Amino acid sequence: MATVAPETAALRKPRGRRIGWAFLAPAFLAIAIVAIYPLIYTVVVSFSESSLGRPFAEWVGFDNFVKVLSDGVTVPSLGRSLVFAIPSALLALVIGFVIALSLDVAVRSGKVVRVIFLLPLMTPPVMAGVIWKLMFAPTGGLFNNVLQLVSPGADPILFLGSSPAAMISIVVVDVWQWVPFCVLLLFAALQTLPGEVFEAAQVDGAGVWRTFRHVTFPLVLPTLVTVLMLKLIVSFKVFDLVFIMTGGGPGLDTTVSSFNIYRTALQQFDVGAAAAQTIVFLVLVTIVIVPLSSYRTRLQKAGE
Amino acid sequence: MSTTIERGPAGSADAATTRAMTVPDGPPPRARRASSASRIGRAPRGVVVLKWAVIAIAIGFTLLPILYLVTMSFKSPDDILSTRILPSRIAWENWASAFEQAPVLVYLRNSLIAAAIAAVVALAVAIPANFAMARLRTGGSRSMALIVSAYVAPPIVAVIPLFMLVRTAGLMDNVIGLGLIEGLMVTPVAVWLLDGFFRGIPEEIDEAAQIDGCGPVRTLVRIVLPLVAPGVVAVAIIAFILVYNDFLIPLMLTQSTASQTLPVGIALMQGGREVMFGQMAAASLTGMIPVYLLALFLQRWLVGGLTQGSIK
Repeated sequence: MATVAPETAALRKPRGRRIGWAFLAPAFLAIAIVAIYPLIYTVVVSFSESSLGRPFAEWVGFDNFVKVLSDGVTVPSLGRSLVFAIPSALLALVIGFVIALSLDVAVRSGKVVRVIFLLPLMTPPVMAGVIWKLMFAPTGGLFNNVLQLVSPGADPILFLGSSPAAMISIVVVDVWQWVPFCVLLLFAALQTLPGEVFEAAQVDGAGVWRTFRHVTFPLVLPTLVTVLMLKLIVSFKVFDLVFIMTGGGPGLDTTVSSFNIYRTALQQFDVGAAAAQTIVFLVLVTIVIVPLSSYRTRLQKAGE
Repeated sequence: MSTTIERGPAGSADAATTRAMTVPDGPPPRARRASSASRIGRAPRGVVVLKWAVIAIAIGFTLLPILYLVTMSFKSPDDILSTRILPSRIAWENWASAFEQAPVLVYLRNSLIAAAIAAVVALAVAIPANFAMARLRTGGSRSMALIVSAYVAPPIVAVIPLFMLVRTAGLMDNVIGLGLIEGLMVTPVAVWLLDGFFRGIPEEIDEAAQIDGCGPVRTLVRIVLPLVAPGVVAVAIIAFILVYNDFLIPLMLTQSTASQTLPVGIALMQGGREVMFGQMAAASLTGMIPVYLLALFLQRWLVGGLTQGSIK
């Protein structure tokens, strides 16, 4: 440190540090408002009997937790969040990877292809829900129209009104929206792989499959894990598609956690119970994301 | 324009891998392009055909729903209930009624205002924070982890507390209040995406600025900001789109046409007594056009912003 030029030291030392914290202050304030305060509020409210109009009406200890864990709705909704998030994330990742691997042949027509692939990602999820709801409609919907052409007089398929078709349909829409995101990130990663490694593999006479298996795949594995983690985080947030397409039905078949919490707070007006459900849901998200995140860190360390 | 990704001399090993994994905004460098082209040259014909097949299917799957929505918006009610793929006549009345019977333009205006305010707020908060963390070395990776972790939690967690806060602050049902809250909510994403851009600047540049007697504020405004401008533009677009597309937060924080955004308006439309498919298709398309235009004209920035920031 003694050898650092005084001008440089001036910036790094107390004054620089103080101004650094001043620069960071607005961001910390933002986090305090949109993350820390809501978390504390939720924890406190979960121990009370509360509604939107009358928060903190009465302290009830763990009653809300006991109630939501035994209501027969909350725990299944957590399960549905997993049933939605894991397949939707894995499908988007695998399909996105296959497309990203294929995209190099279309590099010359890159711009057009890139714009097309951006469109689903840019589509507001509410509109995506509307589009696919129209396509899935029992009368006049695209898929049932095609079915009528193939086998006239067949009973229409209730894509959004039967189990398990409704959940599968929502997964399909979500995959449509998010495959482009995976393609983008994976294609960018593939583009940065060192060309020499592929030449070496070629010289060694490795075929397409072996090159992929032993060269490409290990090199992009850290990115694959990163994209999977991001997509899982996004998948746990799903709300819009459920709201628009099924309203949580048929029955409670597509009532994932986010939607269940919304229902509890805004249709049953039980904010205390909704808060307890929120905390249980956060625990679930943490249990899934944290191991994946530490695996990702380990992979990146190993890659250095 | 070019945010050439060079490793700063004092860059940590972690930052170095980040840089190796990222792509500058814009198309890949020529050399890379040539090498991938030659890779194709050596690939067996079957593989090339297979790849084109994958791309063709992917494009079909991508475009089908959008094109379907366009045809729906021009179908008369009779056509919609028939098994026709294309409309028998162009039903312009769907578009007319979407604009006449539903306040689509008001919704659209609200969406655009809220998204623009949010993008400005997010950048105003994020840029100094990124500068402090990446260039002044304040806060370190722990601040970054704290800020980014705020994005991991599903937004449903924040919805009720924010509802209470916004009501207390008297900002309920107010486009500006909505934009403000949304701006704070996308701040973590902005910080996260900008980090790669801020760390990509060579160390010597701000050292030179300091030797010339520039203080931190001047260094940020005069030296660093112009260098990260592509990142700032990209992140502004991404923040704008995230807010424009959002549904849950505006659903909670708005109550009347005066402040409801287009996704909320459309969601309410379909809850109506009589669902007009054609009209809804027209309204949905109206809402999709602005973001599609962004994709069309700014795709290079968008792709750069997404790939630069998030692959680490």
